[in-house]
Amino acid sequence: MGLVDRGRMPAPLTKLFNMGRSYSMWVYQWGLACCAIEMGAAFGSPRYDVMRLGVIPLPASPRQADLVVVSGTVTDKMAPAVKRLYEQMPEPKYVISMGSCANCGGPYWDSYSVTKGVDQIIPVDVYVPGCPPRPEALLEGIVLLQQRIKNEDMAAKWRNEEFTTLQKTAALEKAKSQPAPEPIVVGGGPIE
Amino acid sequence: MSDTATGTDETAALPGDGLREGIVDRLRSDLGEHLLDTYLIPHTDLWVRVSAEAWGQTAAALKAQGFDHFCFLSALDWLPSPFGKGEDDPDAEPVAISTELVQGYTGGETRFQVFARLTDIKRHVGVTIKADVPESMSVPTWLPHFAGANWHERETHEMFGIGFEGHPDLRNLYLPGEFEGFPLRKDFPLLSRMVKPWPGIVDVEPMPVAAQEGDGES
Amino acid sequence: MTVLNERQQLSYIAAQAADARLNVELETEGMTLNIGPQHPATHGTLRIIARLDGEQVVWAEPVAGYMHRGYEKLTEVRTFPQVTALINRIDWLGSFANEVPFILAAEQLMEIEAPPRAQYIRTILFELSRIANVSLFLGDLGVQMGAITPVFMAFRDREYVLNLIEGATGGRFHPNFDRIGGLKDDLPKGWIAETKQVMKKLRTFCDEIEDLLFGNEIFQSRTRGVGIIPADVAKSYGMTGANLRASGVDWDLRRDQKNAMVWDQADFKVWTHPDGDSWARCWIRLQETREATKIVDQLIDNIPAGPVMTKVPRIIKVPAGEAWVSTENPLGEMGYYVVSKGDLGPFRVKIRSASFNNISITPWVLKGVYVPDIITILASLYFILGDIDR
Ligand code: SF4
Repeated sequence: MGLVDRGRMPAPLTKLFNMGRSYSMWVYQWGLACCAIEMGAAFGSPRYDVMRLGVIPLPASPRQADLVVVSGTVTDKMAPAVKRLYEQMPEPKYVISMGSCANCGGPYWDSYSVTKGVDQIIPVDVYVPGCPPRPEALLEGIVLLQQRIKNEDMAAKWRNEEFTTLQKTAALEKAKSQPAPEPIVVGGGPIE
Repeated sequence: MSDTATGTDETAALPGDGLREGIVDRLRSDLGEHLLDTYLIPHTDLWVRVSAEAWGQTAAALKAQGFDHFCFLSALDWLPSPFGKGEDDPDAEPVAISTELVQGYTGGETRFQVFARLTDIKRHVGVTIKADVPESMSVPTWLPHFAGANWHERETHEMFGIGFEGHPDLRNLYLPGEFEGFPLRKDFPLLSRMVKPWPGIVDVEPMPVAAQEGDGES
Repeated sequence: MTVLNERQQLSYIAAQAADARLNVELETEGMTLNIGPQHPATHGTLRIIARLDGEQVVWAEPVAGYMHRGYEKLTEVRTFPQVTALINRIDWLGSFANEVPFILAAEQLMEIEAPPRAQYIRTILFELSRIANVSLFLGDLGVQMGAITPVFMAFRDREYVLNLIEGATGGRFHPNFDRIGGLKDDLPKGWIAETKQVMKKLRTFCDEIEDLLFGNEIFQSRTRGVGIIPADVAKSYGMTGANLRASGVDWDLRRDQKNAMVWDQADFKVWTHPDGDSWARCWIRLQETREATKIVDQLIDNIPAGPVMTKVPRIIKVPAGEAWVSTENPLGEMGYYVVSKGDLGPFRVKIRSASFNNISITPWVLKGVYVPDIITILASLYFILGDIDR
């Protein structure tokens, strides 16, 4: 993979790798509260059947996972554990924040013990709003993430930079200015 | 396996007032002047208030009466919240908030009260016991009488700062160790509410009945 | 005893000393095992710290608080109708059942009662949420012992119940459907016929689980005689629900307490089991799911006509007073002690949740068990994190 870390991957090859990556994602289920049950329904129930999307929801530990779904309320007591979990995952890694609680605190926006959004601790790629989001919404979030991965510049991800699209890198070579990447929100609209 | 099916005579088994009065009478003879006050809503519920010294003794006395199922233990802070509800219109004049302590049923003298509930499974009756927390901010523990009181007392200690004499281990149950303050005290501020006004200041959901008739007596 | 000569004595002492040395060498050091806060076996974020001697637990202590969201404080800054949106997230598997005791307490303070139709629908939805809750427990039980199939079955059949709840209330999980004085809406068309179908399916599900799991030899040997809780210990820890009935205490608030719900109109059996072990707790829950489907079937035929809402003022102010109402929720006795000062919102709400008491027994019951049994005992005690930590 020397090509990747030197940032000199030919774009077609990257595309190929990306396709492989996006359809073989191992997702770690970090279920914290009520949303965990809907995540369980999406991942574990025969009705929603997440594996047809090329997502494998059964890694034994975060060290084997590419994607983590943080679903539910993150409390201040839990926050260090969430951070440690994220650090245990190997690069490249992605995070889906599921449910209002993980997005921004949700119904507990004024509580004394709840972290108001998991994005205060770890970077989030996709936000799935809802309380709880339906399993379909989570699947939609995964599909959106897969689309994004397909267009991603692997080298930038490797260098731990923010999300950069393939096309953008080529253009940015000249422009040298980079617009902040927008996080994906299922259903559209900004997350405040 | 017992075969207790529901019977039609279950209303007969439901507690009447005679039963609750009997409980109070027996408690009075056990505790004497430590039983400070009682309050009874017929066919509904019973409240008693005892002095803080007799807090542990009350548990023993009630347990001897058959109240052997421990329901919960917690505390009450009767100080009206100095912050209001935090959802008032930020532009409106702040309303004066009284600091007068108005205790609920069975009265009381202090700001903090501990209260607990016990159930008698055989007679299908429950009782709420209250006690004023003295200046020393501690009351005897219920641990010798009810093992379940352990976690409840830890929670009460953490949330209100009330100590329980004789409890071996009043560690924090919920909050991280470095947390400061006692969240359930009325003068504990919810900081998020201070920095951001409550978005739903006007919050009246039209009720189905009222909506049909198109009139709401608001 | 024969008189020993000096040489025999010396050799005896030497043998003893050698034995002692050997024992010292073989003695294992105590080991501390940490399970959680996120571990598949603790379904949720409960953390268990156990000190082991070999395979045996010498001391164990659950660490709660990873899901503490501060409900009791938050209710103080909400109005009465807003509180239900919070509290049905306490026990997130049986959400509707969480709303009921609070609404009943508020109604008791306001001295109003929901119309009969609303009471029927409430009771039916209450039992449906019990089914949705306990069926997942039954499925999850297998996972704890290495059997994956039941959980897929549970998710499959639970979907039907969730569809019903969604059809009636609009929310799969957190319906927020109860109002002070009744319900938000009436039942949709076709719901009753559908419910009957689903109840049949659920009974089949119970039979399947009974065959698959409860008849399984491994399951039996893992649970029978494990984690025995005697009745008086259970009572002094304040255990309720199926955990208490599995210890032989015949106490079910649906039958033994009178409130504005219509369980007394249905004929159902309160199961108890004398053993008090893990198996008994699981078995009682299975039977309760069956009974719940029967209750729904009986009540759904007799729903009276009429409105689902009494007349309440648009802005609800609850008169000053105190009320304690508890109901038999899927996990056990769930109650709210509501103190009102005549304001828009409650002055203080003490939430008595079932799992908090049920799980506080773990240090007692885990003492002396073997490591794999920790998992089965915890699974059979059945807790939901939100219900412990609130
Ligand atoms: S977003 Fe809603 S459903 Fe999800 S964890 Fe938070 S309260 Fe529960």
